[in-house]
Amino acid sequence: MAEGFDIDHLARLARLSLTAEEKALYSSQLSQILGHFQALAQADLPAAVGDARVVGEAALRSDEPGPVLGAEAVTRIAPGARDGQISVPRVVDDES
Amino acid sequence: MADALHTLSAAELGRRLAAGTLTSRVLCEALVARYHTMNEKVGAFTHLDPADVLAQADASDARRRSGQGRGPLEGIPVAIKDNIAVKGQPLTCSSKMLAPLVSPYDSHVAERLRAAGAILYGRLNMDEFAMGSSTENSALRKTFNPWDLARIPGGSSGGSAAALAAGLVPLSLGSDTGGSIRQPASHCGVVGLKPTYGLISRFGLVAFASSLDQIGPMARSVEDCALLLHALASADTRDMTCFGPPDRALTPAGDAKQLRIGIPKGFLGKGVAPEVAAAVTAVGEFYRAQGCAVSEVELPSADLAVPTYYVVATAEASSNLGRYDGVRYGHRSSVAGTPVEMMTASRSEGFGPEVKRRILLGTFVLSAGYADAYYVRALRARAKIRAEYLAALAGVDVLLTPTVPTPAFKIGEKASDPLQLYLEDIFTIPANLAGLPAISVPCGKSGHLPVGFHLVGAPFSEAKLLSAGRLFEAAHGYAHQQAAL
Amino acid sequence: MSHVPSDWEVVIGLEVHVQLRTRAKVFASSPWGFGQEPNEQVDPVVLGLPGTLPVVNREAVEKAILFGLVVGAEVPERCAWDRKNYFYPDNPKNYQLTQKDFPVVVGGQVEIELPGASRNVMGEHKFIRIHHAHLEEDVGKLSHAGGGSLVDYNRAGVPLLEIVTEPDLRSSAEAEAFLRSLVAMLTQAGVADCDMEKGQLRCDCNVSVRRRGAEKLGTRTETKNLNSISSVRDTVIHETARQIRELEAGRSITQETRGWNAELARGYVLRDKEDAHDYRYFPDPDIPTLRISRETVARLAKQVPENLYDRQRRYVEKLGLPYTAASVLVNDRDLAEWFEAAVAAHPANPSGIANLMANDLLRDLAASAGSAGAFEEAAQSPLSLASCPIRPAQLAGLVKLTDDGVISKQQAKEVFAEMFKTGRDAAAIVDAKGLRQNSDTGELEKIVQEVIADPAVAKSIAEYRAGNEKAINALKGPIMKRTQGKANPVLIDQLLRKFLA
Repeated sequence: MAEGFDIDHLARLARLSLTAEEKALYSSQLSQILGHFQALAQADLPAAVGDARVVGEAALRSDEPGPVLGAEAVTRIAPGARDGQISVPRVVDDES
Repeated sequence: MADALHTLSAAELGRRLAAGTLTSRVLCEALVARYHTMNEKVGAFTHLDPADVLAQADASDARRRSGQGRGPLEGIPVAIKDNIAVKGQPLTCSSKMLAPLVSPYDSHVAERLRAAGAILYGRLNMDEFAMGSSTENSALRKTFNPWDLARIPGGSSGGSAAALAAGLVPLSLGSDTGGSIRQPASHCGVVGLKPTYGLISRFGLVAFASSLDQIGPMARSVEDCALLLHALASADTRDMTCFGPPDRALTPAGDAKQLRIGIPKGFLGKGVAPEVAAAVTAVGEFYRAQGCAVSEVELPSADLAVPTYYVVATAEASSNLGRYDGVRYGHRSSVAGTPVEMMTASRSEGFGPEVKRRILLGTFVLSAGYADAYYVRALRARAKIRAEYLAALAGVDVLLTPTVPTPAFKIGEKASDPLQLYLEDIFTIPANLAGLPAISVPCGKSGHLPVGFHLVGAPFSEAKLLSAGRLFEAAHGYAHQQAAL
Repeated sequence: MSHVPSDWEVVIGLEVHVQLRTRAKVFASSPWGFGQEPNEQVDPVVLGLPGTLPVVNREAVEKAILFGLVVGAEVPERCAWDRKNYFYPDNPKNYQLTQKDFPVVVGGQVEIELPGASRNVMGEHKFIRIHHAHLEEDVGKLSHAGGGSLVDYNRAGVPLLEIVTEPDLRSSAEAEAFLRSLVAMLTQAGVADCDMEKGQLRCDCNVSVRRRGAEKLGTRTETKNLNSISSVRDTVIHETARQIRELEAGRSITQETRGWNAELARGYVLRDKEDAHDYRYFPDPDIPTLRISRETVARLAKQVPENLYDRQRRYVEKLGLPYTAASVLVNDRDLAEWFEAAVAAHPANPSGIANLMANDLLRDLAASAGSAGAFEEAAQSPLSLASCPIRPAQLAGLVKLTDDGVISKQQAKEVFAEMFKTGRDAAAIVDAKGLRQNSDTGELEKIVQEVIADPAVAKSIAEYRAGNEKAINALKGPIMKRTQGKANPVLIDQLLRKFLA
């Protein structure tokens, strides 16, 4: 397994829950894939890459307010909504 | 004759519609009838609303009657891959995660097609979130290669290619991140073009890998492909990575017989099936016989392409797919608990195995302590690959390779070996990494299975690619070919 | 009196999040603003619908650049945006677009003024260095109801400028002074409105302590989301005390994230989230690097107003204003400019103008609240300078009349009240009311002598001659009465002293 590939940690970071079978299967498959990436680790590469594309201020948008969806549309496509807001389970540690 | 309409090219259909010998209504009725008899067999479409299609057709015919036809695409159906937003239509990306979603907005390309008078015709099956090369990763249904229903149509735009090869629609849109237009085009014996990165707006294309994704036209001939490309390419201020087309991208200039063809050294040895190698070698010979200069070019960093791609693409994908959490739209798990538990359950229920694999891989290559070794190095490798391609394309007009090393494999054959599948993207991936335009054009068969050749050009050289493709197509019989079903 | 014991030093750094003054959001074109119904300021890009893309708002960038120019920072040739990836219900894309490596503003400094020994004495000035400022998007608002939570995305995507200081602050007073100065600079340049009641300015506060003279910094804690200057001040005081207490008891400080409960005046630890924040930053592939032209920077440089403390120094040193008056005027750019317009009309007496403004004008403007109709929103807020019934030149005219001795200071107040009510010129009102004070020396001499001769005031005269200064005032009443209140009081005083000497 590639050094440091901790599937439990990664699954938590990615908000995925995996069965034991999935963990075993994905670990082995990803190990193979990462093994193949050795070419990348060993290649002789140029120094840090600059951005391929730079834009000027003409690409920025003017400060004109545009159309909105409307609370009705927003709550209609939401899987859970109440009083014009989107409902979720109770947030415990609220930093906002 | 009504039962031959599905064999006609978009160009020919356009001529008949303009002449008044055909109406869009009649055309669409014929195609819808064929859909009803064929789609179960081929599985190209995940959704088609005949009432909506016929309403569009009637509106098109009315415009034409009052002298307000909008151009060569007026009244012509274009089928849309299910990761491209059309207002009021599903936007599932063939995933359970988005199965409930009906898009409340139009993509830029949908707006362009409407403005061209085209008929927005149904939703096409794909690998879930465009991750895959066989369309086997669709969570909604299977798609089969019309040339051999036991085999894959390719992916991720498998539905887009199969629909063309089965005569279900004359034009389709696909998307291409590592080969997802070109590879299924090759497997299904049709034409697929990935434009220069930034030519076609990504506004409304569900992002897989933002710096690699492009929408592209697919058709049964190079001419039809060009027709569709012209409608799609335009500036869009809603996508900061979209330039809009400089004139040279679309305006044919110069004689195709004067094109200089470069063949990358060693490419025909990389696990390429003998018939594929032979077919593509014959392509090179054809161009040489036409008067094109054919030479060998060096692309020393070719071996870096696949790992570089999979690091960059999965990294961007892991972030792009973060928004799918059951909160604002899409599938929400009924698992109770904290928001973290709800999001985790929704994502775990909504995503298939390939998507989860890539999210995990992408999360890893960006994670603390590993980003330098993987992600940052991959960006540097990408720059190197791009520089090599641009250098090669300074001396030739197009690079010629096979599109895929082997023809379409049997369904299920490679399901347990993701790495194998990744390695098959070897010819198509570099064009995405370097942001270059590339096209796949049919060049023969391996047994009964289509083989395509692959041309890559310098930025905004679509006109040259199309010109070269047209030259080959005119001399061979592969244009408009359809599987007998 | 500092809250820090003399053998300790506290080191404070602030991260101030300011909502910039734009009409549309920073990466989406949806409008934004306070007081809307939930989810009415949301478009597909804000909601993070599949297929949507960010486009950077030019006004937000220009406001950020303007801030940089205001604080004398460097505006780099290029800036770029990064993704900060984390999952939270108020974060529509589950990543926030921010600037990690190439922010729009680098460096700079903010001059602050600490409280003086008394109200009339200017306190010490200090410079607080800015590390950088970057442009990012705000997140939605979570509220809690019953067994669940609700999300309103109106605030998601609002342009935020995050201003990060160097750890140069050394007390709660300095932290407070910094925020006041920053707010003044931001509002005076039109960069932000900084209405903290509307959540337009929030602050994270980093605090560590060390023994005085120590070189190494102590372990710091971060208290997040403070939304008033007083809560920043209180947090600093409490956290300093807490950390000192812990260290003196032999314990160590844990590096942690904290919150502040203003009602209970207590800090608390925020539960550490799982996987404490591996944000997996990488450059956003949807937004190319932005080149900032020097032409744009030069154009925006013209919009930078005079620094409020430069202005204050100018008022005190060049115009001779007392510190308190200068301090009041410079705190509001409109007020300062109004003042300068009045001085331009009558340059001889800036202090006189300042006094009239501070005492009478501002009082009457504030008092005009409640005079508007009951159904008007404006009934709750005072008249602004913009809708002031008096123009600067008119106020200057009133002061000049007083300086020229045409009317007395007492009469000036009466005239001012009439000017505020009617908007008419001082001279016109003086003439209409016949208020020109009597400075006819001959006539007044006669009246003064008559009053002195009156036996009714003999006692007062005797007291005055005996040394009681105040006794002279008893003679002034009768003189005023004889002159219908129009006698020039300065002249009367001179004449009385002359004749009683």
